[in-house]
Amino acid sequence: MTTGHHQRSGASAPLRSTSGRENRSWALTRFDNRYTPYLVIAPFFVVFGIFGLYPLLYTAWVSLHDWQLIDGDQGFTGLDNYAKLLGDANFWNALGNTLSLFVLSTVPQLLAALGLAAVLDRGLRGRLFWRAGVLLPNVISVAAVALVFAQLYGRDFGVVNHLLGLVGIDPVDWHAETWASHLAISSMVMWRWTGYNALIYLAAMQSVPKDMHEAAVLDGASRWRSFWSITVPSIRPTILFTVITSTIGGMQLFVEPQLFDPGGTATGTGGSDRQFQTLVMYLYEKGFRLFDAGYSATIAWVLFLVVLVVAGVNFTVARRIASQG
Amino acid sequence: MSKSLAGRAATAVVAVLAVSSAAACGGGASGADSGKVKLSIGVFSDFGYDTLVKEYQAAHPTIEIEQRKVKMEQHHTQLATQLAGGRGAADIVAIEEGNVAQFRQSKDKFVNLADYGAKDLAGQWTPWKWNQGTADDGNFVLGLGTDMGSLALCYRRDLFEAAGLPVDREEVGKLWPTWQDYVATAQTFTDKTPNVKFVDTALNVYKAILDQAEEGYFAKADDSYIADKNTKVSDGFKLAAVLGEKKQTGAVAPFSQEWNVALKQASFATTTCPAWALALIKAGAGDEAAGKWDVAAAPGAGGNWGGSFLAVPKQGAHPKEAYELAKWLTAPEQQKRIFKETGNLPSEPVAYKDPEVTATVNDFFNKAPVGQIFAASAESLQPTYRGTKDSKVTPVFSNALARVEQGKQSTSDAFAQALKEAQDVAK
Repeated sequence: MTTGHHQRSGASAPLRSTSGRENRSWALTRFDNRYTPYLVIAPFFVVFGIFGLYPLLYTAWVSLHDWQLIDGDQGFTGLDNYAKLLGDANFWNALGNTLSLFVLSTVPQLLAALGLAAVLDRGLRGRLFWRAGVLLPNVISVAAVALVFAQLYGRDFGVVNHLLGLVGIDPVDWHAETWASHLAISSMVMWRWTGYNALIYLAAMQSVPKDMHEAAVLDGASRWRSFWSITVPSIRPTILFTVITSTIGGMQLFVEPQLFDPGGTATGTGGSDRQFQTLVMYLYEKGFRLFDAGYSATIAWVLFLVVLVVAGVNFTVARRIASQG
Repeated sequence: MSKSLAGRAATAVVAVLAVSSAAACGGGASGADSGKVKLSIGVFSDFGYDTLVKEYQAAHPTIEIEQRKVKMEQHHTQLATQLAGGRGAADIVAIEEGNVAQFRQSKDKFVNLADYGAKDLAGQWTPWKWNQGTADDGNFVLGLGTDMGSLALCYRRDLFEAAGLPVDREEVGKLWPTWQDYVATAQTFTDKTPNVKFVDTALNVYKAILDQAEEGYFAKADDSYIADKNTKVSDGFKLAAVLGEKKQTGAVAPFSQEWNVALKQASFATTTCPAWALALIKAGAGDEAAGKWDVAAAPGAGGNWGGSFLAVPKQGAHPKEAYELAKWLTAPEQQKRIFKETGNLPSEPVAYKDPEVTATVNDFFNKAPVGQIFAASAESLQPTYRGTKDSKVTPVFSNALARVEQGKQSTSDAFAQALKEAQDVAK
């Protein structure tokens, strides 16, 4: 768009510019066309440089040191922190938990969002109400959500265990068992983000031409078939977008599991046996409870790399699935 | 046109600069504009300073005080980052006894209160309390003591009665001269009323036992790691773990939301209670439990759990004024008043031996003479040595006990794993 505009004015201006004054205004116009876009986007990059790039690089620098949170730099150690991290069982445990929680929460979440969006896309009565409604869980403070869910999943007096008891299932210790805690935390994440993703899908679905659906109906396609063959491929870029953002969010999962831990931020290690400690929780434990900032920075950088890899894999897989569908 | 535009732009820039520099002045707490010195105090839970602060302001019109209350855990984490960042800390910060050893390590970030004459106050406190707040053989005064947490044991009268146990607090105290007796009582209790838990959590039993020892995880002499050799640690752990193995504990995280619910539902009969815990029990159990809880002597010798110090970070703008306020807040007269208001036990003999304090009874706890009970155990108190890495090692053992309570591990496995993890953390 910018180049098109530039070429157009560049071609028309010399025809009319005869005097020096017009020449100068032409030069100004050219300057304007060429550099203004950069000036306009520059603030973003300046802000990004200060609040994004600088911390990123500084973290890398810190990770190469024995660095205590309060007392600061205790000496350069090279890649020692990284070597230690790769041999750290707690790190691998946290990575496994993060991936497990990510899969458990994201896959059902995106599928549910897709279904929810398809329902919302049909002419429902009180459309606005339903559409606003699905976003509501996302608007509520995560601390409040975590508090409520921790109560629901209480071992002795929780509602979930009470309901399970009605169908004859023994009470589950949601905070103690690994799989149970993962399910509980995933349900919290799904509760918060399904509606949000559904709205994004809905927005994309509304731009799918109706005549394609009508043609499919004429050809005798079922609703299910036209959903998978027309709707889903049409909103492919949006699906890829949500997969990437959910991956980034899922790999950095922190608040929900941290608040689910009865030990809280003080002594919380994601359960008594680190059953649901995620990478960011481990980073927090090392950096802000044990004050080992160097090691914490190392986890941050490895996490960054893990997110890149997982996002790349997901992007490839999701693109393939969506194009086949 | 362009000139006037430039002129206007210049005016705008000047205006912005003027505003921001004025704001910077206010933010810098120099308070030149109002002529008042602004002091902030960072505390957690209830220090009972609300009315005292108002009084101090009334007596010192040039001083304006802002109180910041955060949860205890967050408070210490925040303080650490604020010290690291060099800004943001309150002018006076509270530091809990379990964390004070760790902050003593970073004493260069704090004002040495001895510079303002704090050493002259030393005699006010019981000696161990004063020593905990100092470093360098007493030459560096890091913090002035607030309260302390001498230990008692709280029990529910109605549940004891149902189990056929005595309910009178003197009699109850006689049930358990030692922690072994306490465990035996637990068995009697469970035999009679198997559906009620005897104690809320094994963690607090273990903590209480350890707090009665002279040394815990670290050696008093040289701060070296001794948890693997100290029999007090292994014995205490095993004793508490037995309760967990027999499912005689509620297995709830202490002072958590679940703990509150368990209190409300009366699902456990006893809990360790340092002076400051009375307020928490009352809040959790609610008014309908008034008169049902009571306070008895704790098993074993006296011990201390909790209590805090007021310290002055170096980054503050008014160390002198901050010190004056901290000195006033920790003076015996104020400590007495705080005790009557919140139940936080004074750490100064003049205060806790004062008839006003010893005569205090707590209506909620069946009119228990808490002044007498806590003052008595304060007298026989043996403070535990806190290592600089105590706050890092403690959660490792708490997690291990929780695993036993949850039935995930045997006592010996849990303890072995804890020792291994603690070794890493203590390095």
